[in-house]
Amino acid sequence: MLCEKRTWTADGGWVGRSPNLRDAGLVLYFGDREVLAEGSWLEDLHGTYPKACFIGCSTGGQIARNELLDGVLVAIAVRFAATRVSLADFEISGPADSRTAGEAIGQALAADDLSGVFVLSDGLLVNGSSLVAGLGAVLGPSVPISGGLAGDGPHFKATTVGVGTDTPREGRVAAVGFYGSAIRLGYGSGGGWESFGPSRLVTRSASNLLLQLDSISALDLYERYLGDEASGLPGTGLHYPLRVWNPAKPQHDVVRTVLAVDRNAKTMTFAGDIPQGFNAQLMHGRFEELVAAAAEAATHASSSLPPTAESRQQLAILVSCIGRRLAMGQATGDEIQAATARFPPGTMTTGFYSYGEVAPHRISGVCELHNQSMTVTVISEAPG
Amino acid sequence: MHRLYAAQLTKVTSAAGEVNLPDLAKVVSQSYEEADRDRTRTQRAMRLMAEEVEEANSKLRKTIAALQVQNDRFSAALDNMSLGIAMYDADERLVVANQRLCDVLCVPPGSLSVGMSYRDVVAVCTEAQHFGDALTKEIYDVRRRVFKPGSAYHFEEPRGNHIVAVTTRALNDGGCILTFEDMTERRKAEAQVEHMAQHDALTNLANRSRLRNRLEESFTRANRGESFAVLCLDLDRFKAVNDTLGHAVGDELLRAVTARICSCIRAIDTAARLGGDEFAIVQVGVEQPQEATALARRLIEEVSKAYEIQGHTVAVGVSIGIAIGVQDGALPETLLKNADLALYRAKAEGRGTWRFFETEMDARMQARRRLELDLRRALVEREFDLFYQPLVQIGTREITGFEALLRWRHPERGMVPPNEFIPLAEETGVIVPLGAWVIERACEEAAKWPEHISVAVNVSAVQFRNPGLVDVVTAALARWGLVGARLEIEITESIMLQDNVTTLGILRRLQRLGVRISMDDFGTGYSSLSYLRSFPFDKIKIDQSFIRDLTSQGGAQAIVSAISGLGRSLGMRTTAEGVETAEQLTQLRAEGCTEAQGYLFGRPMTGKEALELLSVQGPGSHSFACA
Repeated sequence: MLCEKRTWTADGGWVGRSPNLRDAGLVLYFGDREVLAEGSWLEDLHGTYPKACFIGCSTGGQIARNELLDGVLVAIAVRFAATRVSLADFEISGPADSRTAGEAIGQALAADDLSGVFVLSDGLLVNGSSLVAGLGAVLGPSVPISGGLAGDGPHFKATTVGVGTDTPREGRVAAVGFYGSAIRLGYGSGGGWESFGPSRLVTRSASNLLLQLDSISALDLYERYLGDEASGLPGTGLHYPLRVWNPAKPQHDVVRTVLAVDRNAKTMTFAGDIPQGFNAQLMHGRFEELVAAAAEAATHASSSLPPTAESRQQLAILVSCIGRRLAMGQATGDEIQAATARFPPGTMTTGFYSYGEVAPHRISGVCELHNQSMTVTVISEAPG
Repeated sequence: MHRLYAAQLTKVTSAAGEVNLPDLAKVVSQSYEEADRDRTRTQRAMRLMAEEVEEANSKLRKTIAALQVQNDRFSAALDNMSLGIAMYDADERLVVANQRLCDVLCVPPGSLSVGMSYRDVVAVCTEAQHFGDALTKEIYDVRRRVFKPGSAYHFEEPRGNHIVAVTTRALNDGGCILTFEDMTERRKAEAQVEHMAQHDALTNLANRSRLRNRLEESFTRANRGESFAVLCLDLDRFKAVNDTLGHAVGDELLRAVTARICSCIRAIDTAARLGGDEFAIVQVGVEQPQEATALARRLIEEVSKAYEIQGHTVAVGVSIGIAIGVQDGALPETLLKNADLALYRAKAEGRGTWRFFETEMDARMQARRRLELDLRRALVEREFDLFYQPLVQIGTREITGFEALLRWRHPERGMVPPNEFIPLAEETGVIVPLGAWVIERACEEAAKWPEHISVAVNVSAVQFRNPGLVDVVTAALARWGLVGARLEIEITESIMLQDNVTTLGILRRLQRLGVRISMDDFGTGYSSLSYLRSFPFDKIKIDQSFIRDLTSQGGAQAIVSAISGLGRSLGMRTTAEGVETAEQLTQLRAEGCTEAQGYLFGRPMTGKEALELLSVQGPGSHSFACA
């Protein structure tokens, strides 16, 4: 397996070395929504990699090598030695379509030799939990799913996903399936957020809409904690993700991040389900912990790959939550560096800051939506 | 150099190594702002968290206070229950114990308290002698089973000198709840009730029900060859004591008699009071009939001794009937009935004695029963008739009236004399309707007679006990248009022995109707002068036994003379009964007796004959021209 990275800006066009992998089978791309909407980059890429499957999305910042980049488009071309890839996509008009989208894509990709799926979805119109549940229901527990929800910087206005020759647009879910026995996939995820304050009971909610905690308005609670930053909701809500768990299975906790608020209806929309009767607790991030968790996710992903006899090139896709970036500010680069430092030499790193992350749960192994986390997908091929 | 500053410096340094100072200032300033915002956020979060914790604490405090109130209520409820309650946790520690617990278990107050182990509690109970000589370990080892999951027990046991009902239930958490109820008083009361159901309240002797049980037991033993006797006792003259000295004395007498009866029997025998002055004894385990005879003799001797009661010396006798099981009856009822028949015989044959049951007694009783049925039938079938015997004024020899005498024309037995059926009629109550018929019939007949001729009717003591007597008389007089003075009611002393107040009331009401009242058979019974003083009788009738002996030597003449004198003094007429000879009449006249009746003037005759006699003699001159 071989990879090459290319970057593009509206002002400067393509930078870096000229492309070598013209027969690449897969091109992944990530860029700011405004950047993706401009110029002729897509036609250039198709021209450069005529045989490749294209899949990409808008972000809250791109990861390339060990850096966080804004205002650029990052594309990674991959040439597999023995692995086949295939694309599928589905248009959604709102969160209610999420499960259907997951099922439809699952059915489109399903095959006996399907070894893994990487999914990119609109980040605002989707219920990520339902999407992953729909995929998982069709593919079964043996096919790992990873990926993320497209981002829109700190704006939460629109997110876009592109597939094939289509330019990225809103309301799309797309996924690439990896087939064959040569592909090697490793996963890791980490949060590092610390819960604080009292644990609360979800007293009123409907799928990913949260209304009340301990019988008082959840939105009021957030506004109280955000103080003068409350006007920045939903973006500032990312400073306080929610830890959510079934009281019967406290170990299987997930972190949920705010996607939208409706001040009239007093509702908060989260990137995944917040079931009524579950417990919830506010969380906050300390830089050191967030960075350490990112590093651990990278270690876990690398170590979950079977060791190979010789060092080969591998691709690491980091999908990290926009909430982490908002929390860490200029120190965000620390977590990228900490994670990349854990990869062996020859690893090409890419990724993006997202509105939601998808990876197998580190304890249950069940593929699900994560929030406020760094998830790591490591891809390589067994020697041919 | 700080890692962030190094990164910022790198970011603003050109490829040529030149640092763009304005850009550096901007990124550094931004990072300060970010740090400020983060600190502000953290501080706010800390403050809010503290507020939330305080709020939660305040809620908890309120909840604790509310729980305390509820706890106090539960404690009050528990402490005011009649049950003792002990709840243990899974470690067998007492976690709940109400105030009643110590009371019910009769252990010193405060000796059982929360925190003690079950074993400690058992030890306290052992020390309080709940379990006799058993050791704490023995009791504890057995009773620990109450903690076994799913177990539940309910039992009652003596604890020291108390009876305690214990209910246990193992709890789901491995603990156990036990309740204790003091059953001592309840069981005592039940025993009392049971005793009362089996014993006579006045004498504390066995009652009829218990006697029956003992008889049944005796029959069971008799199957193994043991003979036994039933003695039925009836006090003689008890009624007179009760009537004259009052019920209080009567009751005390019964208790005294009971004591004497008990002194005559052994513990294995059973004495019972069957009601009134009737007693029964079951004598077991000895040779019969010898021992029953000996016992009867002892009883008669003991019971007949005088009693000193409330300042009165009282004497009663006792008659005893004896039946031997099983020869005289194969069932308790039969044996009792036969002992009763023997008693009847003993009483009939002079009282103060005993009789064994004989088969012919039963036959006689059957005959008596038939007679009773005949009597009732006779009343319906109009087999009774009245005969009339004239009463004559000694001075003028004019007929003043007739005494109505009852006769029974039995379809098979012919004419039955009154002494054969009146006692039975009295005993069975048939006398009440029969007596009413007599009054009615006598009035009907008298209505045919001249207005100065009266009719005398004998009224039994039983009729006097019936409240309807005055109504019967009033109705008869009214129906036949008789003035009260034409009816004469003859009563015997026995009537005066009854409840005096009631009797006198009835007599006075009759007298107010104009009815005349005679004292019959005077001189034969107690002949108490107090009777004559207590009621203004119109007439005293001198018993025929004195008249019969009038001409022979003896006291009869003196008695007749005395009674006649008494009548004169009290303003009462005197009638001599059974006058058969002219000599007797002469003597009676000499003694000042006012009236006579007897064969000398005529035997009892039919109504028709009486009417003829009156018509022959003509109005105003119904006289007999005797010697």
